[in-house]
Amino acid sequence: MRKSMLAALAAGVALAFASQPTLAADKLKIGFLPGVVDPFYQVMQLGVERAAKDLGAEVVTQVPPTWGVEAQTPLLDAMVARGDLNYIIIAPVDKDQMVGPLKTAADHGIKIITVDTYLGDGDYVKGPVKFPLSYIGSDNVEGGRIAARGLAKAIGGKGSVYINSTNPNVSSVEGRAVGFKEVMAKEYPDIKVIGPDFNLDDPNKAAQQTAAVLSREPNLAGVFGTNVFSAQGAGTAVVNAGLGGHIQVVAYDATQLAIELMNKGVVSLVLAQKPFDMGYLAVAFAAADAAGVTSLPPRVETGFAIIDKDNVKDPAIARFIYKVGK
Amino acid sequence: MTSEPSRPAATSGSLGEGKQDVTMRGSIAAPAGAHGPGGGSSLQRLVLFLSRMWAWLFLAVMVLFFVVAVPLSTGGSVNFLTIRNSQNILVAIVPVLLLGLGQTFVLIAAGIDLSVGWVMSLASVLSALALRDAFNSGAPLPVAVLAGLAAGLAGAGLVGFLNGWIIAKLKVPAFIVTLGTSFIVRGVAYLMSENSTVIGLPAGLGAYGNDALIYYISGPGGGVYFLHRPDVGGELLRRMEIILPYPVLATAFVLALTMFLLHKTQFGRHTYAIGGSMDASVRSGIPVDRHVIKVYMLSAATAGVAGFLSTLRFTAGSAVIGDSLLLSSIAAVIIGGVSMFGGAGTVIGTVIGALIIAVLTTGLVMLNVDAFWQFIVVGTVVIVAVLIDQSRDLIVGRQRRGAAQ
Repeated sequence: MRKSMLAALAAGVALAFASQPTLAADKLKIGFLPGVVDPFYQVMQLGVERAAKDLGAEVVTQVPPTWGVEAQTPLLDAMVARGDLNYIIIAPVDKDQMVGPLKTAADHGIKIITVDTYLGDGDYVKGPVKFPLSYIGSDNVEGGRIAARGLAKAIGGKGSVYINSTNPNVSSVEGRAVGFKEVMAKEYPDIKVIGPDFNLDDPNKAAQQTAAVLSREPNLAGVFGTNVFSAQGAGTAVVNAGLGGHIQVVAYDATQLAIELMNKGVVSLVLAQKPFDMGYLAVAFAAADAAGVTSLPPRVETGFAIIDKDNVKDPAIARFIYKVGK
Repeated sequence: MTSEPSRPAATSGSLGEGKQDVTMRGSIAAPAGAHGPGGGSSLQRLVLFLSRMWAWLFLAVMVLFFVVAVPLSTGGSVNFLTIRNSQNILVAIVPVLLLGLGQTFVLIAAGIDLSVGWVMSLASVLSALALRDAFNSGAPLPVAVLAGLAAGLAGAGLVGFLNGWIIAKLKVPAFIVTLGTSFIVRGVAYLMSENSTVIGLPAGLGAYGNDALIYYISGPGGGVYFLHRPDVGGELLRRMEIILPYPVLATAFVLALTMFLLHKTQFGRHTYAIGGSMDASVRSGIPVDRHVIKVYMLSAATAGVAGFLSTLRFTAGSAVIGDSLLLSSIAAVIIGGVSMFGGAGTVIGTVIGALIIAVLTTGLVMLNVDAFWQFIVVGTVVIVAVLIDQSRDLIVGRQRRGAAQ
């Protein structure tokens, strides 16, 4: 008795949808898949949603709970399986391992735009990976260079410095460490660089690793935290060791905690990226491509705001601090 | 602690002391009343039947819910039961199911294996390293892949042996032993990998992990292709459906093997016996210590296969890949009806449990609901599963007493 009722229900539903024309077939539908839950990507989501509102697009967002291909790939697969997305905006969590799953998505007709991190070597014209539409993100190597010069100045040009980073094989933090080491090697040969250690995007691990280095390195003068959680964890460790102000910390990513630490004198330099720009531009590029624009740049550098204690109160600079909510 | 020192302790405090009943109970596929004395009212029998089949019913209801809700929420443009989605779900359950299959044996034997997640990671790293080295010293790709599988299984088997040996011979509770080895294995996996990943694997490897048995291209110019990805592009590529990817076939093979092992061999019967009552097993001459070691080696071996398949799929070894899977695998096994007291459960039940988790996650993404809700739902279902398991004991007890009068 129950079985035939179910069958009737299913048949009815099927008929109902068979007779309905596909609604909203012309509306732009975009998937947004950042790397993990953190303030940087939350601000990026604000940019995505604002552009979607301005341009009349629909956005499907899923945020992986942890940083890793095993967390991002199932969400990507599910988005592709929907069959109704024209574009996917993604921050690939590994520049090699995500190539396969994203190529599959591209083969199914979904155009890929990478934000913040890139696939392959980031050159989608001449590099090994060519299928994404564009890479919109900071020049992380240059950011690493800026951080190195800022830290070197803050510690007086000598001593040892420690890099605390998140994951290997991620284009963004990898670039920052590369740029940092490059400047230290060329311009400040008296500074010894320790690390990077990888905290796998866990601020607790970042704090532990930094605390360990603090206790074993007598000449430690500075710390470079390469992203949101690295900077937070490293800064916390410095404060807990009572060394705030004696050890200089340079933080990549302008979270409110980093700014608080700057106001307390723990952090001397904060590099703010522009995630809102990345999110907004990615949606705008999707809309432009859907409208037939073919001259979209394959690479957009969104730039930095360099925040120190002299300009942190300046509204023109302070607007780049990652604030989510009202 | 109870006065039975040779029991491989499970995590729950109430090990059912005094349970001398060695008969296999709780087979999900068996009709209700098959094991009881045939007494009890029809209402009791219906309740008993529901308590065994509830996972199937829940899965069916959930699928039906998504079939109806997904098109509703997207204005008819997205459907839930598509070929692509069904294959997605199959691919998604591969790691959880493989870990769950090994865990099924361990839980039926009244033990627990908390190290399976990290054993999977270790196997991923080991197979990547072996594969890379074999290929770089001139071996053809298929041989290198076999070398990778061997290395992954060997490493996993070693950990399983260690677990089983300490639990059986040194009489340390399983919870503690496997927790300890999980830390050790984690450290080894990190140290052996290069900053937690092993890259630089041969280019053709992706085909092993991502190609499928059947490729179906619908419409004009299409057709059915087998074993290798057809070299098409553009519109044909867009319409291509990938059916039965190789990792799914490998998992099906392992599934068939474990079903046979558990339900049709002496190995399986001994596993149920040890879980039902350690004392009775020892007295009836079952080589309990050796069997316990084998069970933990089996659990580690399935984790090893999972790690190997992950390396093939992502063409890289990863020391962190199994971290989140341990709890999902235990949840799948418990939802599937394996009793926390040992001595009961089936392999099919674990498959249903793994499907429930995967269907839930996929469905939530298609409904554009925050995927974090899956954790709340899965946790709730696990608690419900244990409650039903506990109350099933009550119902069976009451039935027996009712028939005896």
